[in-house]
Amino acid sequence: MDGIYVAMAVTLVVWIGLFLYLVRLDGKVKKLEEKNR
Amino acid sequence: MWWKILLFLAMSAMIIASYITPMPQQQIGESSRIFYYHIPQAWICVLAFAMSMIYSIVYLKKHDISFDDRAADAARLGLVFCLLATSTGSLFAKITWGSYWNWDPRQTSVFILLLIYGAYFALRGAIPDQQRRAALSAVYSIFAFVTVPFLVFVLPRMIPSLHPADSVVDSDMKFTMGPMVRVIFFSSLALFTVLYLWMLNLSNRVSRQVRAREDLEF
Repeated sequence: MDGIYVAMAVTLVVWIGLFLYLVRLDGKVKKLEEKNR
Repeated sequence: MWWKILLFLAMSAMIIASYITPMPQQQIGESSRIFYYHIPQAWICVLAFAMSMIYSIVYLKKHDISFDDRAADAARLGLVFCLLATSTGSLFAKITWGSYWNWDPRQTSVFILLLIYGAYFALRGAIPDQQRRAALSAVYSIFAFVTVPFLVFVLPRMIPSLHPADSVVDSDMKFTMGPMVRVIFFSSLALFTVLYLWMLNLSNRVSRQVRAREDLEF
């Protein structure tokens, strides 16, 4: 049963990491688009 | 921004629900929970390759290079999701069948699919001329997608396979899942689709900026 919680924690960490990366990338691209407009 | 917060909360809730609710298939065991991730990844793989083909057709009609970029971006994400589906499938195979790779019909067909789309990028990398690369890649992408339904849906069902065949629907096209599993599964499908569309949008915007910089340099 503990293994399931470890797997859940790993999945959540991967998801949060991916989400933060995408938000950061979105912001950077937006800045670049405004600069090049 | 609101939809990103909603996506974050909904995906987090889906992940938690996929682990704390009863197993989707009792006879397979805890490893059957991978079903909530593996099938949506495979679905995104097919969707991305289909979108790549559609953008390729539009490129051949309009000769607008931005559609070639979009086709390549969609195929790239399709390849990433195909690799993810293969990895989660291998993990399931190790737990259930005792080995990561068995050359099962499903694994063999996905391996061929990876080779086909790997060759798409090799082709793109081998042609320096932009218009020629776009035209040849577009034609290749259309022919590559013709193999997708055969390799994903037909071939694995023609040959006896260890892969679970009735995870979603049975031979009478009736849902084999319980109500709770169905809610989590379809939420996962929808959330992975939104995530893919966001990633594709970002990828297209990055390609547009790269293209604008290249045009300025020339």
